[in-house]
Amino acid sequence: MATDIGADRSSGDRGLLDSLPCGVISFDDSGRVLYANGTVHTMLGYTAGELEGGHVERLLTIAGRIFYQTHFFPLLRLHGRVREVFLLLRTKSGTELGALANATRTTRDGASVVDCVLVEVHERRKYEEELLRARQSADRANGELQAQARVLQQTLEQLREQAVELEMQAQQLQEQTAELEMQQEALQEVNDQLLSQRDELERARAVANEANQAKSQFLSTMSHELRTPLNAIGGYVQLMEMEVQGPITDDQRQSLDRIARSQRHLLRLVNDILDLARIEAGRVDYRMEAMDVESVVVSVVPMLEPQLAAADLTFEATIAPGLRARGDREKTQQILINLLTNAVKFTPPHGHVSVRAHHDEPAKQLLVDVHDTGIGIPAEQLASVFEPFVRVETGQTHRPEGTGLGLAISRDLARGMGGDLTARSEPGLGSTFTLRLPAA
Amino acid sequence: MDVLTRNNVKVAGRGTQPMLFAHGFGCDQNMWRFVAPAFAEDYRLVLFDYVGSGRSDLSAYDATRYATLDGYAEDVLDVCRALDLRDVVFVGHSVSAMVGVLAATREPERFAHLIMIGPSPRYINEAPEYVGGFERSDIEGLLDTMDRNYIGWANYLAPAIMANADRPELGQELAESFCSTDPVIARRFAEATFFADNRADLSKVRVPSLILQCSEDIIAPQSVGEYVHRALPASTLRLMQATGHCPQMSAPEETVALIREYLSSRDGD
Repeated sequence: MATDIGADRSSGDRGLLDSLPCGVISFDDSGRVLYANGTVHTMLGYTAGELEGGHVERLLTIAGRIFYQTHFFPLLRLHGRVREVFLLLRTKSGTELGALANATRTTRDGASVVDCVLVEVHERRKYEEELLRARQSADRANGELQAQARVLQQTLEQLREQAVELEMQAQQLQEQTAELEMQQEALQEVNDQLLSQRDELERARAVANEANQAKSQFLSTMSHELRTPLNAIGGYVQLMEMEVQGPITDDQRQSLDRIARSQRHLLRLVNDILDLARIEAGRVDYRMEAMDVESVVVSVVPMLEPQLAAADLTFEATIAPGLRARGDREKTQQILINLLTNAVKFTPPHGHVSVRAHHDEPAKQLLVDVHDTGIGIPAEQLASVFEPFVRVETGQTHRPEGTGLGLAISRDLARGMGGDLTARSEPGLGSTFTLRLPAA
Repeated sequence: MDVLTRNNVKVAGRGTQPMLFAHGFGCDQNMWRFVAPAFAEDYRLVLFDYVGSGRSDLSAYDATRYATLDGYAEDVLDVCRALDLRDVVFVGHSVSAMVGVLAATREPERFAHLIMIGPSPRYINEAPEYVGGFERSDIEGLLDTMDRNYIGWANYLAPAIMANADRPELGQELAESFCSTDPVIARRFAEATFFADNRADLSKVRVPSLILQCSEDIIAPQSVGEYVHRALPASTLRLMQATGHCPQMSAPEETVALIREYLSSRDGD
C-alpha cells in the first residue's frame, strides 16, 4: 500500500508544504501521483487535489514524457535519485512550462515512493537558452573555423611551395648578382682604363696642340727665312734680264726665264704654307660683314678672264640679285679665285665653267656652286682633296701648276667664317665645289 | 581499436549459449542489472555499451557511421565477431530491438532468437495508415529538452568532471548522470532513433522473435507492438502487466519470467 507523503502528515505540515515556493510531488513506481502540494497545482493551473490519483505523465508534454521514460526514469531506478533535470511540464490549459526537477526514490511503509521537487525556470531557462544559443553558435563557429583551418592549411602548403620556389629564385638571383658583381668589377676596370686613356689622350692632345703651335711657328719662321733669299733671287734675275750688268745671250735669257719661273713657284708655295700655318695657328682675323653675293662674284671675274681666254673656256655666272651672306669679303674672294682657278686648270679646252648661288632657307645658309665640265675627281679621292699637298691624279702628262694647298686653305677659311666647303664630282663629266656661308 | 574495449564489453555467466544484451537510447548496459543475473546460470552473458554511450571509447565515435541505426547494428556484429558468438539470444530494449532486426538481417546465421522489449519500427505517425505515436514536432521538442539537459547546469561541467580521474567522488556523480555526457552524440543518437523508419526491414527477418509489449507505454504504444508482430515472421507477442517503457527496470521479475518462458518453449527449435 503506497503512502501519501502529505496524507500522513499533520495539516500544519501540509500548510508548510503548500507555502513552499517550489512544487513538491510524490508518486509511486507506476507513476500514480500520491501527493502534490498547492504550489504544483497553482503552477500547472489545477485546483487543489485535482492531480492526486492521476498519472505523473499527465504533467509532462509529449517531449517531456519521452525524456522522462528514456532518461529520468532509468536514472531514478538505477541510482535512486535525479538531480537538476530539465523537464517540459504541461499546464492544464496545454501551455508549456520549463521546470528543473530533483527527485529521490525512497521506501516508505514498505513501498517505493518518488519524491520530486519542481522549480520553475523562467529566468534560468532564459539563461540556458542563451547558453544553448551560444553553444550552438560556438559549434557553428567551430565548424567554420575548422573549414577555415583547412583552407589555411592548404594556403600554408601553397605558401610553403611558393617559399621553396622563391628560395630557388633567390638562389638564382644570388648567382646572378655574383655574376653581375664580377661584370661590374670588369666594367670598373674597363672604365678605369678608359679614364686613364682619356687622361692620356688629353695629354696627347695637349702635346699635339703644342706641337701644332710649334709647327706653325716653325713654318712661319721658315717662310720668312725662305722668302728673303727668294726675293733676292727674283731681283737679281730681273736685273740680269734687263742687261743692267751687261748684255746677255739668248741661251742665257732662256735660263734666266726658267730660274724666274722656279723662283715664282717657290715663292707662291712659301706664301701658301705661311697662309695655312697662320690659319691653323688661329692667327687669322675675319672681318665679318653682310655681303652682296653677286658683287663678290662679279669682283673676281676680271681676274680670271685672261686664264679663261687662254684655256679656251666659256664662263657663266648666274646669281640672283639681293642674295646676302655673312662673311669676310676678301677671304670669300680668295676662296672663289682658288675654286675658279682650279676649275680652269682642270677643264680641257672648249669646256665650260659656271657659278651659281642660291639660298638654302631651312639651313639658313647661302650656297655658291662653282661647276666645271673638267676631268672630275674619282670618288675615292674626293674626301682627301681638302687635305694639304693632296693633288688629284689627272692622268695627264702635263701636270697643272699649283702648290696643293689651295683647297685646304679655302676650306679652313670657309669654316673660319662659320661655313663650309664641300665637293662632289662625276669623273669625266666635271666637278662642283660648294661654298656655304651663313645667310645674312 | 580493440572492439571489446571500444564497446566496454562485459562477459559473465556459466552457460554456453550467448545472451547478448543491447541497451536502448538514453541508457547504457547498467539498465540490465535487474534482469541479466537471472540468466547467468544458463547462458553466457554479454553486455556492452554502444560507442558514444556509457563507458565506451568516445574517441571511436564516427558521426557518419552512427548517423543511422546501421552503425549501431555494426557495433552489435563487431561484438559478435570479436567474441565469435553463434546461436545468440539477442535481447534489445527499445531502439535496440530494431538494431537487432538490422543485425539479424545482415548475419542471420549468428542469431537464434531476438527478444524485443518495447520495439517500434517507426516513432513518427504516417497518416493515415500508420500510428507511431509522435509527430515530428514532438521529437523536435525532445531534442530541445535534451539540448537543455546535456548542456544545462547539471551536466555543463561533466567533461571537466570526467577529466578528474584523481577525484573518485566526482566519478560517482558522473555515474548518476545520463549515460552519455556528450550532447552532440546524444542528440545524434536521438535523431537516428526517432527519425528512423525500419518498417520495411521487419519482413526480412528469418530469426524467430519475442515481442514484450508493456501496457501504457507512451514510447511504444500497444498498436505499434501489434504492428511489429504482424510484420515480423515467426514472432511471438506478449503483453506485459508492467507499465511504462522500461519493464526490465520497473518489472524485472515479469520480464525475466516471460523471456524464460519463451526460450524454454522454444528449446529444441
